[in-house]
Amino acid sequence: MTDTVTITIDGQDFEVPKGMNLVDAAKLHGIGIPVFCYHPKLDPVGMCRMCLVELGNVAIDRTTGAPELDEQGNPVIRWFPKLQTACTQTVSQGMVLRTTSDMVVEGRENILEFLLTSHPLDCPVCDKGGECPLQNLTMAYGPGESRFIYDDKIRLAKHVPLGKLIYLDRERCIQCARCTRFCDEIVGDDVLAFHERGRRLQIVTISDPPFDTKFSGNTTDICPVGALTTTDFRFGARPWELTEVSTICPYCPVGCNLNASTRMDREFGGKAMIKRIMPRQNERVNEIWICDKGRFGHHHSRHEERLLAPLMRNKSGELVEVEWPAVYKAIAKQLKAHGDQAGFVGDSTLSNEDLWELRRLAELSGGSPRLGLWPATMSGGDVVAQVGVGSETRLQDLGPGSVILVMASDFEEEAPIWWLQVKQAADRGAKVVVANARPTKLDRYASAVIHYRYDEAVGVLNSFTAPLLSGDGQLGQGNGWGALQSDLQNAEVTHADTANLLASAENLVIFLGSEGLTLEQHAELMQAAANLLIVSGHVGRPNNGLIPVWPGANVQGAWDMGFSAEATADLLANPPALWVIGGADVAGEDIRMATALEQAEFVVVTAQFMTPTAAHADIVLPRQSFAERAGTYTNGLRRVQRFYPAQGPIGDALPDWKIFAHVSAQMGGPRPPVAAGTIFRDIAQRVERYIGMDYTRLAWFEPQFPDVGGDDLYYGGTAYSNYGGLGLQWPAEAEAEQPQFSVRPVRTAAPQTDGLTLVPVWVLFDRGHLFEKSELMHHRMPQPYAAFNPDDAARLGLTDGDRVTLAVEGHELTVTAQVGDDNPAGAVLLPRRLSGDATLSTPAACTVQKIESMQKVEG
Amino acid sequence: MLAEKYADRIQKIFAKYPDRRSGIMDLLYLAQEEYGWLTEQALEEVAALCDVDPTQAHSIAGFYTMYSEKPKGKYWLQVCTDLPCALRGADDFYAALCEFLGVEDGGTTEDGLFTVEQVMCLAACDKAPMLQCNFHYHENLDMEKMKAQIEQWRAEAAQPEQPEDERP
Repeated sequence: MTDTVTITIDGQDFEVPKGMNLVDAAKLHGIGIPVFCYHPKLDPVGMCRMCLVELGNVAIDRTTGAPELDEQGNPVIRWFPKLQTACTQTVSQGMVLRTTSDMVVEGRENILEFLLTSHPLDCPVCDKGGECPLQNLTMAYGPGESRFIYDDKIRLAKHVPLGKLIYLDRERCIQCARCTRFCDEIVGDDVLAFHERGRRLQIVTISDPPFDTKFSGNTTDICPVGALTTTDFRFGARPWELTEVSTICPYCPVGCNLNASTRMDREFGGKAMIKRIMPRQNERVNEIWICDKGRFGHHHSRHEERLLAPLMRNKSGELVEVEWPAVYKAIAKQLKAHGDQAGFVGDSTLSNEDLWELRRLAELSGGSPRLGLWPATMSGGDVVAQVGVGSETRLQDLGPGSVILVMASDFEEEAPIWWLQVKQAADRGAKVVVANARPTKLDRYASAVIHYRYDEAVGVLNSFTAPLLSGDGQLGQGNGWGALQSDLQNAEVTHADTANLLASAENLVIFLGSEGLTLEQHAELMQAAANLLIVSGHVGRPNNGLIPVWPGANVQGAWDMGFSAEATADLLANPPALWVIGGADVAGEDIRMATALEQAEFVVVTAQFMTPTAAHADIVLPRQSFAERAGTYTNGLRRVQRFYPAQGPIGDALPDWKIFAHVSAQMGGPRPPVAAGTIFRDIAQRVERYIGMDYTRLAWFEPQFPDVGGDDLYYGGTAYSNYGGLGLQWPAEAEAEQPQFSVRPVRTAAPQTDGLTLVPVWVLFDRGHLFEKSELMHHRMPQPYAAFNPDDAARLGLTDGDRVTLAVEGHELTVTAQVGDDNPAGAVLLPRRLSGDATLSTPAACTVQKIESMQKVEG
Repeated sequence: MLAEKYADRIQKIFAKYPDRRSGIMDLLYLAQEEYGWLTEQALEEVAALCDVDPTQAHSIAGFYTMYSEKPKGKYWLQVCTDLPCALRGADDFYAALCEFLGVEDGGTTEDGLFTVEQVMCLAACDKAPMLQCNFHYHENLDMEKMKAQIEQWRAEAAQPEQPEDERP
């Protein structure tokens, strides 16, 4: 094989990939070379000198260029006179390493002796104690005694807040620069740096805001000592007391694999309690990173306001506590009475099992089931099924030759870890094209940026597709090719360079959001993306295809279980008499939903908290959070992933599936299943995409490289190895042997209105009913605002900071105006879930009124 | 603001390098010359000019000893007291200098004119006692010479500000 070379480590020969550094190469074969500064996800710097090895190369005869041979005919090895850092050296054919020789052992001893000259011996109270690379490596390689004079110890500050979430202990820092390099290389936000030099070298920030990237928590994982700790876990527990439970983040479509570190806790009645959330390695999903929302957003699972018992309205209209059997009967009675007039809505935090049981209940209720999903902002589940990204796609494989188009999404706010991976793909040489109506943070890393008017989105994609169909090129198999060709014949090619870039890409991945688009417009946009991918041939193989930036963790699963955003829209257009709402705070987020619920005859809600939706309800059912039960989520790459019960139960709350199944039983359905796994077996039999999956297969795992989280924490930090399962991805239709593609012409919808359009946008740190309960994150949540373009603001007589009333569809919202050059003209950007008030989920025409002047201006 | 006051010099600095961030050290010297020391505002200005985070400017200023992030007098007197200089009387010279100016080691005179400091080798051992004042060498010193020089600096400082010329 030409891609590998043979090297000798401690007398044993190994085949290793070309170009790999020595630490990784040794690690690949189970030989640990201790490191502090080196991290497999970061570029090597060779600062800590812990990885010193004896290194020899094959001597080359300069006259012939052939290896020199000794008398026995063996190659002559030329040793470096001094120890070399293994992390900065890459392998070459015939290289010889000694990792256990006396010289190496002494080298390590000396480095540790130096590192410990000023390191405090506060391991007994240090959060890292017990899972500390410095502790472990000192035990393994340390000298045991120090020759340094204690009086010369450098004393530095021990409680330095680097932001509101991360504390720095300057004495514990061993100057490995993993955190500064993480900020610089991985996140691209270099707010941490070294100050001074020598023994006084220390981590500082004077940035404003300080260290508050969306990924700050990851630095505490890769810190090889206890210098960086989170405010969430600081002094919370000792690592050896913790039991690790695999779980999945319930917030966004990335589906980050998490570990919940739990312990039986006095504060929680002796039940298992989540003490911290850590990343769990899944190289196909989140690698070893998670965002701060996932890490610190677990507090809702045991918040004091959790609903503990079922509530039902009594005769005087008050919600009072009742027993479970009574509510099951009451709901069944209502469903029997309203039968075919019931509407069902499932939240994006509901597991596949919850949704399946909700669907079964809907089917038992008679009529054709109306199954809406929430948030209902994105269409196109069928398009994803057809041209979704190929199985075994790994975003970290995208590099030179790959093109990534990110469209209609404020990517970092909507899917932070995907943003991180796309940013790194750009660093590796992939070309990133960002198309949106306004600048976003990803623009910095883009090869091309296209700013369009919101209603031009479909036209932008059409203009990429048109040139591909203009020649005499062969039309593909399937429906609609002729119609598409004649439709795009005269299409204007507005972005020729970008179109070429996309067409000539070896790999093309499209991330598609829905910013500024109504559901109908978004359906067209999804199809336009499918047309482009199909016509340019970027489907049906890994690292090619469509990835929807769904508005929640299990939106894909909801589509798979038969729920759709269109059904939600239909429920709004033709409201049912009876609503059954699973988990979602529809009324708290959307004024249209709030109105619909007000007018409904009967509303049943499963909820964790007394949300506005629950307040509208006639029956409120306490649901368990993701932390207390088992289930599966399907992420935006269609990977079905298991989560496990991590935390002890609270009150009488039950998982949604159990609640729905019990009502089903009252309606004449089968006996309620006893476990989520049984429901999944049912799903796997009846949902084609999930055929062949079961809980055992979803829990499969394999050794992943880099090998993080094993016994040797020094190597990758405290992210965890994956023992909970890597999940399974269902294949897109395009991956079939003879796929039948259907394309169709899509139209740019005419501008909706001459006036202002209210455009809902996402912010990561929002006040959604679950995340809001993480009080330590409140400082990151922006105050409610509506953003205006300066021209629009001038026309309306608004300046930054004015209070305004937005009138939309007969409702009024009061917010603070923010005026900025980046905001697109004709739009009022209103972040979802920022205030306690309901807003909108999809764009609509609005008028704006400044509050002080009381002067109404037509938008 | 540096950007307005020294537009030409900043232009020349950037012209020397392929990208803006490479100009950061020259700009930090410029800022130090302007403000006497690197205030947080100075760091922010330089960072903005170089299109980097202020923390990065802070980091560079912290690493190199010729930048000061603490208030300094108009004349920053760095006396080498390393062994070879000490053998030629540099430590006595330094003590006498401190006494003459009425400051402690590392201190600044009350009028804000002079800061004295001991430094490591300045590579002029053969001409000790010597000092570096705002990066200019003064060699083969004794207190007589020094007193004259200090008088000269005091007189200079009393003059209205001269137009800026290039830093050597």
